[in-house]
Amino acid sequence: MKSGGVDALPVPDPEWRAGWSSLVELGLTGLCVPEALGGLGLQVEVAVGAATELGAALHGSPYAGLVASTRALAAASEQGSPGNARATDSLGAILSGERICAYGRLDPTGSTARSVDGAAVAEALVLEDPATGALFLLDDPTAWSSTEVAAPFDVTRSSSDVTIDAAAGHSLGTDPTAGLLFGLLLAADALGGTERVLARTVAYAGDRVAFGKQIGGFQAVQHRLADHAVRVRGMSLLVREAGRSLAAGAPDAARRVALAEASVSGAATHILHDLLQLTGAIGFTWEYGLHFFQRRAHHDARLAANPRQALQAVAAIEGWDR
Amino acid sequence: MTADVETFRAEVRAFVADHGHPMAGEGVRVPRDPTDEAATRAWLAALYDAGYLGGGWPVERGGRTDHHPMHDLIVMEELIVGDAYRPLDQVMLASHALLSFGSDAQQDDLLPRIRSGEHIWCQLFSEPDAGSDLASLRTRAEPDGDGWRVTGQKIWSTDAQWADMGTLLARTDPTVDRHAGITAFVIPMDLPGIEVRPIREMTGYEEFCEVFLDDVRVGPEHVLGEVDGGWRVITAGLASERAFVGANAIQLQRLFDDLVALARLARLPDGTRAMEHEDVRATLADALVRVEEVKLIVRDTVDRILEDAEHPSDGPVAKLAYTELDVALTEAALELIASSVSFDEGGAEVAARWHHNFLWSRALTISGGASEIMRGLVGRQLLGLPRA
Repeated sequence: MKSGGVDALPVPDPEWRAGWSSLVELGLTGLCVPEALGGLGLQVEVAVGAATELGAALHGSPYAGLVASTRALAAASEQGSPGNARATDSLGAILSGERICAYGRLDPTGSTARSVDGAAVAEALVLEDPATGALFLLDDPTAWSSTEVAAPFDVTRSSSDVTIDAAAGHSLGTDPTAGLLFGLLLAADALGGTERVLARTVAYAGDRVAFGKQIGGFQAVQHRLADHAVRVRGMSLLVREAGRSLAAGAPDAARRVALAEASVSGAATHILHDLLQLTGAIGFTWEYGLHFFQRRAHHDARLAANPRQALQAVAAIEGWDR
Repeated sequence: MTADVETFRAEVRAFVADHGHPMAGEGVRVPRDPTDEAATRAWLAALYDAGYLGGGWPVERGGRTDHHPMHDLIVMEELIVGDAYRPLDQVMLASHALLSFGSDAQQDDLLPRIRSGEHIWCQLFSEPDAGSDLASLRTRAEPDGDGWRVTGQKIWSTDAQWADMGTLLARTDPTVDRHAGITAFVIPMDLPGIEVRPIREMTGYEEFCEVFLDDVRVGPEHVLGEVDGGWRVITAGLASERAFVGANAIQLQRLFDDLVALARLARLPDGTRAMEHEDVRATLADALVRVEEVKLIVRDTVDRILEDAEHPSDGPVAKLAYTELDVALTEAALELIASSVSFDEGGAEVAARWHHNFLWSRALTISGGASEIMRGLVGRQLLGLPRA
């Protein structure tokens, strides 16, 4: 990670892949893969922690999608049929760090996936057809073409629109956990960034002096920071609770994930925007870097079509639409 | 342990279902007539007899030998779930203060009367010019022989109109700064010179009172704790409420269930049910997200309390989160009611509860340390920011 100083916010690093192997050594790619397949088991809570830290660091990898993909590949691999050898091969290459895998959702045409995080650098794709829940693996980069989104709002990662040769896709069956992991880890990413900026803004408010005192000593500033700290604690507890629930395979896992997604996608961008206000003009500069987190939190939500998608999921799970 | 706790919960639930004295409405604690008052006192006595209140007292004072801190939380939760009258101000705060600071003579005399329902208590703390800033209180206790003569005005004293005893804060040493120089007294409310005037609140109920003290003679036997040591009594009393923060999780769930009920029963001008509309469901989903956040905050806090590992900011965080969400839920309910023209069977009662809860919710964000005080505590104790 690049950093502009002890107390400064991190900056995006387009060369993140150069350091990927050290994160792989820490086990980051194997956190949702069974040990029999070379992973560390279903360590969702650890994966949530990792995604939170990567979000706080503005890391460029498509981590949420990569973990969701490993889960889908592992599930297919465990089915053991000969056709799933490709899933096993790809999984091994992703676990070892040799390949990056992106995760996306097909649009109704079945041949295009919009705004796929990391597709530009990926050597493999796992795509979900939201209509059926069916998952497909594309392990040959010549089987798809991708167009990087021009002038992306989130400048910390790359997104691409992907068009696939549908015949080249290998069916992975269905695995709802993959999609849940994707949404939860995106929420964790935005949570990590929000926690990072909150801590930075609290430190700033304790340092910055105006009218003869630290601005954190003015109620107009202090009380808003207190409100944000309370809300962020609630978001954080919901995200962690969803991780526990998913790891345990609890019946309420889908509900817990939807609540966590709705919480973070509904609140993070508002909180960050207010933290910018509390940081004043310096926060408005490119160099200060607060905007990177705003852009990223917005894009985390967008990758999962949240908050609307999550709110609808909550309503459906609660049975309110019946 | 879990099995024991669940057995205890089942016992309490059955007891509340069989004997519970009903709550007239959220925050309504003052009996409406002598019959209601007798029943309320009998209910409190029954809770002590059963070991559901006072379980954590010393065993020789009537506490349980098998008491666990979770018991207190479970009792409070079951009182909420069973819509039964739940005491706090009336007996619990005073009990805690007496057990922590009372002399043997005070404990011998007063604790049994709490257990029997004979004594209801009130707090004579706030003053017209000393609310959230309690340390600025001005009620004076002037030396008079071996005792004092107390003159001043108290306000926002819940239950003072039917209380038999009061915990009084008065300034015994006007020469020292704020927190120093305040003494706590435990006094009978029928001492000569005490006049109680109930205040009608915006809910239509009379829960709070003004209490005028005019040259009220108190003796050394009335002092609770040390002379000039009243601030310790106050802070310990506030801390005693901490375990009950957990009960707020149940309260939030019940409020939320009532919001869902409202959306199912409310009819919009076009004749459809509110719940049929996606925007209403999205509002509910958003509210549920907030409810689940705060339930986890509360649970997190209780976990730390039970482990004796709480942070000074935990109480303020939980109170701020709970009370502000309570207000937000009532506002969402009122928007739904305002958007509706009629209710299906049972909906009018639900709407009436929400109208009351809407008005009552502001009592929560103002009393027991206003939200602005809580934000300051969170800012200083959790975030390490300077005093505002």
